[in-house]
Amino acid sequence: MHAYHGCYLRVDLASGSCQRVPLAEDVLRRFLGGSGLGAYLMLQEQAARFDPLAPEAPLAFVFSPLVGSPLTTSAKFAVVSRGALTERFNDSLASSGFAIAGKKAGCDAIVIVGQAAQLSTLVIDDGQCRLEPASGLAGLSANKTEQQLKAAWGADYQTAVIGPSGEQLVRYATISHSGRHAGRGGTGAVMGAKRLKAIAVRGTQRTTWADPEALHEMAKSLSKRSFGPATAKYRELGTAANLLTLNRLQALPTRNFQQGYFAGAEAIAPEQIGAARRQTRASCAACTIGCEHIYHLGDRSTGDGVRLEYENLFALGSLCAVDDAELVLKASRACDELGLDTISAGGTIAFAMECVERGLIDAPWLTFGDGQAVLNALEAIARRDGLGDRLAEGSRRLAEQIGHDSIRFAPQVKGLEIPGYEPRSLQTMALGFAVGSRGADHNRSGAYEVDLSSAVDRRRVQADDARLAVETEDRAALIDSLILCKFLRGVFDDLFAETAEMLRAVTGWRVTADELRLTARRIVTAKKQFNILAGWTPAEDTLPERFLETPLPDDPQASLSSKRLAELVAAYHVERGWSPEGQIGPKDLEILGLDSE
Amino acid sequence: MQVVVEFFGIPRARAGVPVTTCGGETLGQVFTELAARFPELAETCFESGRLRPGYIANLDGQQFIDDPKTLLNDGQAILILSADVGG
Repeated sequence: MHAYHGCYLRVDLASGSCQRVPLAEDVLRRFLGGSGLGAYLMLQEQAARFDPLAPEAPLAFVFSPLVGSPLTTSAKFAVVSRGALTERFNDSLASSGFAIAGKKAGCDAIVIVGQAAQLSTLVIDDGQCRLEPASGLAGLSANKTEQQLKAAWGADYQTAVIGPSGEQLVRYATISHSGRHAGRGGTGAVMGAKRLKAIAVRGTQRTTWADPEALHEMAKSLSKRSFGPATAKYRELGTAANLLTLNRLQALPTRNFQQGYFAGAEAIAPEQIGAARRQTRASCAACTIGCEHIYHLGDRSTGDGVRLEYENLFALGSLCAVDDAELVLKASRACDELGLDTISAGGTIAFAMECVERGLIDAPWLTFGDGQAVLNALEAIARRDGLGDRLAEGSRRLAEQIGHDSIRFAPQVKGLEIPGYEPRSLQTMALGFAVGSRGADHNRSGAYEVDLSSAVDRRRVQADDARLAVETEDRAALIDSLILCKFLRGVFDDLFAETAEMLRAVTGWRVTADELRLTARRIVTAKKQFNILAGWTPAEDTLPERFLETPLPDDPQASLSSKRLAELVAAYHVERGWSPEGQIGPKDLEILGLDSE
Repeated sequence: MQVVVEFFGIPRARAGVPVTTCGGETLGQVFTELAARFPELAETCFESGRLRPGYIANLDGQQFIDDPKTLLNDGQAILILSADVGG
């Protein structure tokens, strides 16, 4: 078999055992890798049966057929589990050397079950596994943990680690690698519940490619296109450039989604702070785009830098009404070090700020606009100190504790905090949020790109437009399973046809675009099937009542009723081939080859 | 007829200004004038009198438009932005 090892490592931290479990070629062809193969593994491991933080709950690091190839942006991996925040399917992607080293260890995925007796590091050396005590790493930041592991084990090991938040089982803790994060849904909490501080991996086992010559030609072409206009925004400005655009369109979530326009946006925008603070650019391994823009904190001479992304700016800036660039940058760096998902951290803090305003939480220090309060809250969350212990549970659980109908304005779907796209202004995205298998999510549903086009009236999306949300979700499912970076998507004329050629070159399979369209549908349905097994009900496919009761204050046309959202959701389900309520019939499972999973 | 043109993202970087005013009765005429005044913007964002793929125009923050024949009213705002706003 080309491009795959045809097996995964199954590590039981309780017994210390490490098995090599075969993966049939048919399975790999149907689920590819990354998110798709992760969905298959979670179904096989019956992860839906376990509490996400139970010792038995499986946590998978999944590679892909393109990892290790010369294709730009292919050094990526997925971390998959039942979500700590949502208790639904959760897949979080990260990039760089860990993907390459993990696959070179001789496996297509690493599945971890059980709980170590003490805080530990899992060392995987060319497929051989052992546990090492990690008590000396307890409480260390993600960055320092990785530095110490490199010093201890050598630079040829690549590491995936948790920060203090993961150790404290903060439900939106991340798993970090080289300053990047498998960020959403609390993968770090699942790892922390296993008393696993870090994984260090290295290996020498390369896969072969079916048609190396064709692959290198494709890689050259893709790299060349990755330098073109379709990726210019990411190269030159980074994702942070979205801030002013969305603000102008009244789509920038502000003050816990009470507004879509932030008067302080200019003060924290990269266009404003870039000249004085931008230090350099960085990129993941095997990437020619280089979307990471590093900004310096305080005095430029200290070299103290932080990566800045749009989601950090929105969640720690406008959502909390903070217009002090230095404090937003510090909060962003604090999330990096503590191992916190910026979107869920900012969303939960903003929700708490509104609760303070309404007299539902007694914490007068936590007010909109106070950047230092955001920093203090982040530290308290990571240590589960005082109010931080409650905030560490995320906005849905916090609302359930508070009561007083506060769930109406908790900014989440299925427990996952909503990213930086105002649903009333961007209603195809609103649909994507409502039906997303891992909750409100802009990476598994890229429906905002439909709203920012002439294809729909973004504030009056109709049931016929649901197919556009399905299409963006299918494209994302394919990209996240191959895996390639979504920032490349603009360079493809026909994603399915071009990636079929790539897959043919690495595997030798005679894959067609139509086969990949079916594969994408299968992967989306497999995630949904997992959710059904985990207790999903149709009532979950919705948005918080705030979005369905109140138009945006400064844009009355940005209004979405519960009736219209329900029509959109039903149309989406039907477009997927499911019942209007979202149930998958046995025939659908059979067509997609999921009836035996 | 004068319209206000606001630039965001790469178009702003290429134009070198966040906003300008421009004459023209149609979107295409506005593009023509902008191309003459901002060569770097033209090179990156315009092609055959239209915006290149990856860039899009919006009228008054409301409606996305791409037809160069779109008629404009005096005082309207044209936003020119990177179409891909994913993060």
